[in-house]
Amino acid sequence: MSDHPTRRDALSRVARGTVLLGFGGTSVFLIDKADGQVVWQVDASRCVNSRLGDVGAPVCALCTTECVVQQSAVRAVNNFRECGRCYICPAYYNIKSAVDENGLPSEKLCPRDAIERKPIGLVDPEDPANNFYEYIIDEVKCDGCGICVKGCKEPLGLGSIILKVRHDLCVDCNHCAISKACPKEALARQPVETALEPTLAAPATR
Amino acid sequence: MYKQTQVIGGKGEGAPRFSQTLRSITVDGSERLYAVGDSELKVFEADGTLRRRWPTSMPGHAVAVAEDGSVYVGESGQVEIFDRDGKLVSTWRDPERLGRITAIGFASGCVLVGDAADRAIRRYDLNGTFLNDIGRNNRMQGFRIPNGVIDFGVDADGIVHATNPGKHRIEHYTPDDQLLGHFGRFDGIDPAGFPGCCNPTNVAVAGRERIYVTEKAEPRAKVYDFQGNLIAVIATDVFDPNCKNMAIAVDRRGRVYVADTVRLEIIVFEGDAES
Repeated sequence: MSDHPTRRDALSRVARGTVLLGFGGTSVFLIDKADGQVVWQVDASRCVNSRLGDVGAPVCALCTTECVVQQSAVRAVNNFRECGRCYICPAYYNIKSAVDENGLPSEKLCPRDAIERKPIGLVDPEDPANNFYEYIIDEVKCDGCGICVKGCKEPLGLGSIILKVRHDLCVDCNHCAISKACPKEALARQPVETALEPTLAAPATR
Repeated sequence: MYKQTQVIGGKGEGAPRFSQTLRSITVDGSERLYAVGDSELKVFEADGTLRRRWPTSMPGHAVAVAEDGSVYVGESGQVEIFDRDGKLVSTWRDPERLGRITAIGFASGCVLVGDAADRAIRRYDLNGTFLNDIGRNNRMQGFRIPNGVIDFGVDADGIVHATNPGKHRIEHYTPDDQLLGHFGRFDGIDPAGFPGCCNPTNVAVAGRERIYVTEKAEPRAKVYDFQGNLIAVIATDVFDPNCKNMAIAVDRRGRVYVADTVRLEIIVFEGDAES
C-alpha cells in the first residue's frame, strides 16, 4: 500500500476539519452563552427609532411585534444622565396636540400611559416652567413600542430614551426573532460588559 | 413675505466651505458676514465671496464684531480677540466663568458672554474684568437650555434679549441683570408659539423693532415685534430637518442670515416692503 495520501483521504481530512471547526465554534458560542458573556441587546446607534438622521421615518414597532415573549422583553429606558428633565418632554406629551388651559399639550404620547412625570423638588405655583421634571418609565406597562424613543430622538429631544432588552424577561433564543426581522440589524449579541450598562441595568419589575 | 436670495458656504473642502461644523454667524456694519466653524473664522462680502479667513486655536462656538472692528470668538474655556485683520490681540480665560461660550455681544461698553456650561450670561468690561452674571438669579439658577446653547441679542438701547428655550420664552434683561419681562409660550400647532421641548434656540435683534429667532425640530426661522407678536414665518422647509441650534443674524438692511448646521451653508432671506 502506498504511503502517499489519496485525493479521497485529503478530502476526508478537510471535511473532518471543517466539521470539527464548526463544532468547535458552536461549542465556544454555547459556552460563551452559558457563561453569559454575550447577550442580545439593542444597539441604539442602529435602531431607527433612536439613531441620528431618519427624522421623518415612521416609528418602528418590530421589537414589540416580533419578540417571542408575550409582552416583549424589550423596554424603553430613560438614561437619566442624558435626560434634560424638560418642562415639555416630547416623549411624554404629544406635542402636536392642542394646548390645554394650563398651556401644556392636551394629549400624552404613550399609548399605554407608561411614563410618569414628576416635578423635582418644590413646585413653583406661579410658574410650572420653573421646575425640572423627571420622566420615569413604568416597565410593567411598557411593551417597547418605540414611540417615546422616537419622540425623544435628536434633534427633537436629547435621545436619552432608548430601547433595551431586559434580561430578566428575555428567554435568550439562539436566534432572536427581533434580530431576524430588524431591517437595521440593531439587535445583536453583545458582550455583557457593554450590553448591561450599570445605570441602565435595573431589572424590570414584573 | 420673505424669500431666499442667496446661499453662502456649504459643506466641503476649499476656502469658502466648511468641512465639519458651522456654529455661529454675525454681520458687521459694512454688511460683511463673519462665520465660525471647524477651527476657522471666515469673512464674506455681502455678495457671498470670501474676503479673508484665519484660524482659531479651538473650534469656535460664537462670533461677534465690536464697534472698533475687533472680532471676538467664543470657544470652550476661552474667548479669543482678533483685530480686524485677524491678528490675535488677546485671549480671555476664566476657568470659573468661561465654560462653553456659545454667544457674545456688546452692551453699554461691556462685553457679554454666554456660557452654556453654566447656563448664564457673563458681563465683562472691555479689559476682561468680570462685572456680573445675567440670568442666574432665579429658581432655575440659570437659563433652561436642554438644547445646549445660550444665545442672546442686544437692542439699540442696550437691553439683552435672551432665549430661554426650556421655558419657550425670550427674556429681556438689563445689563445689570434686572429681568424686565418676557414673551413666548409653548404651542406645537400655532406658529406664533414655540414648539417642541426647547425653542427658540437662537436669536438676533434689529434696532428697537424686531426680534428674529430660529427653532429646531422642525427647523424654522421667524420674526416678532418687541411685544412678542409674530410678524412673519421667514422660512420652514429650506433647512435640513436634522438642523439644531441654527445661528441667525440680521444686517442693517433687514436681510436675515440663517446657518444650516447640517448642510453647513448660510441661507440669506430678504423680505418685501411689508416685512
